[in-house]
Amino acid sequence: MQRRSFLRGIGIAAAASAVVTPTMVMGAAPKGPNTLGYEAAVKAITGGKKVTASSKVHMKAPEIAENGAVVPITVTVDSPMTDADYVKAIHILASKNGNVRCADVMLTPANGAAMFAARIKLGTSQDVVALVETSTGEFLTASQNVKVTIGGCG
Amino acid sequence: MGKRKSLIKIKPKKYKTGEIVKVSFMVMHPMDTGTGKNKKTGEIIPAHYINEVKFLFNGKPFTTMKTWETLSANPVFSVNFKVPGKGELKVVYTDNQGEVNESSKKIKPKG
Repeated sequence: MQRRSFLRGIGIAAAASAVVTPTMVMGAAPKGPNTLGYEAAVKAITGGKKVTASSKVHMKAPEIAENGAVVPITVTVDSPMTDADYVKAIHILASKNGNVRCADVMLTPANGAAMFAARIKLGTSQDVVALVETSTGEFLTASQNVKVTIGGCG
Repeated sequence: MGKRKSLIKIKPKKYKTGEIVKVSFMVMHPMDTGTGKNKKTGEIIPAHYINEVKFLFNGKPFTTMKTWETLSANPVFSVNFKVPGKGELKVVYTDNQGEVNESSKKIKPKG
């Protein structure tokens, strides 16, 4: 009886370790602390709502960035910015970075105009996407491809 | 930790009430991603980045940001702001290691 329970114990332990080790390896993968795919990130922001490409959103980024560690971007949105109709949020996403999300900017009518500018890091050549949420619940998007000569992550 | 160097810039320098100005907030911050290594010792530098920035005017927030490590080191955040009158513009930021700092600037519209 003792031997039987001992063997059973080993079996359970082996099964448990077999389950645990792959997840452990996944957890120790050499990636940043926040990893989320592009599609998953968009879904997390919009909650599955439809996203439309719009000419109202202007994304300004360099076509060729020599240094991926410092890429200046500017996003402006044509919006009256009144209490009835204003831009609620601007999300900046880099489609191929380890962590896709760069910044979520929550605006209010007190801003007067919808603009956000910052400098971001890009690992490789990729699309930089601006996802804009308006107060009416619409999601608008614009993107620009940036070619990176030297990657800026890590 | 000592206070980090930070600066609020307003463009244009002279403005009137009701005018839309550009407010830039700069801060000296490493923005480590958590993947970089120390070149001398080979140790991984832990992630250290700003995760929240708040712009306030007279204590009322008008823009809040959630940010991640994908922003460049020594970041600059710029937004527009419609000047409602005299007051104090304040920027408060928090990073993932629990540092909270702030920087402020007086708003004095002319005319």
